[in-house]
Amino acid sequence: MAYTVPIDEKQLIEDLQNPATAQKAFDTLMRTYGEQVYWQIRKMVTSHEDANDLLQNCFLKAWTNLQNFRGDAKLSTWLYKIAVNETLNFLNKERQRNNITEDGDDSFLLANIESDEYFDGDQLQEDFQKAIATLPEKQRLVFNMRYYDDMKYEQMSEILGTSVGALKASYHHAVKKLTALLS
Amino acid sequence: MNKQEDKLIEKYGRKGGWTVPEGYFESVYKEIDAKLPPYPETPRHVEMTAWQRIKPYVYLAAMFAGIWLMMKVFYNASGNVTLSLDNPPEHIAMALSESDLADSYILPASLSDMETEREVMGQYDSIEEFQQDFGYELESEYKEMSLSEE
Repeated sequence: MAYTVPIDEKQLIEDLQNPATAQKAFDTLMRTYGEQVYWQIRKMVTSHEDANDLLQNCFLKAWTNLQNFRGDAKLSTWLYKIAVNETLNFLNKERQRNNITEDGDDSFLLANIESDEYFDGDQLQEDFQKAIATLPEKQRLVFNMRYYDDMKYEQMSEILGTSVGALKASYHHAVKKLTALLS
Repeated sequence: MNKQEDKLIEKYGRKGGWTVPEGYFESVYKEIDAKLPPYPETPRHVEMTAWQRIKPYVYLAAMFAGIWLMMKVFYNASGNVTLSLDNPPEHIAMALSESDLADSYILPASLSDMETEREVMGQYDSIEEFQQDFGYELESEYKEMSLSEE
């Protein structure tokens, strides 16, 4: 069936769980949420190539787990959750590859920003992204979700499994740190 | 949120400076579509057979039967048909009947202080020997006392 904007999420879920309509519905799912998910991943891993691989993995995982989606959460929340897991797993592997401990900052991301051909920000933007890359992983996730996507704390709480209060505190600390770093 | 956040937005905006190759999203959706495996099969609900339902209980019963049988075999092999406090296994009965065990562990526990004292004194032939062993001198009124029981 053809989907109109805004997407009827209930209908889309029904179609996703019906083998006859699943593929078409999945295409709609990708076109509806693909960009948001991509940007969330990209801001965490910084490189377009890595973000591209992770986006594909994320949707392939979503497809193979369609039967497990019970509709308790919004489709976007479910997809974000998969994307966050994929991203954190990737970053852990990268840290291991670069011999960086969990608590260490993700300084290897700074090199990605400098060498990424799909980053056309000016020096000001580069400095800002480098400062964000020095934030601890979880704080960076929270900052990106809130600052760039203006995501509600309640949805972030569902995705990250952290209380709203802790997320607010985390965002507050991130803003404070960035202000101090960039001043 | 606060002034600090407003200042960041004002200075750096919310775009971030990231870009993607032209037509990227259209091409990646097609790429993903092409990679999708067949639609995941719904796990079919398979009705359990009667044997599958009772299997855990049968195994449990067999385990208890096995334990009972092993006990039976061991007791029969040692000559005891029934086991009770009045009819304990042979080796326990033998151990209990040994006088050393009774003297060392059972009797002392049942003796009163007075009885213990008498028993100790009974092991000495003379008061001097007793004094020497216990390192004290009896008062004169006890010196003439006999060590043996009246």
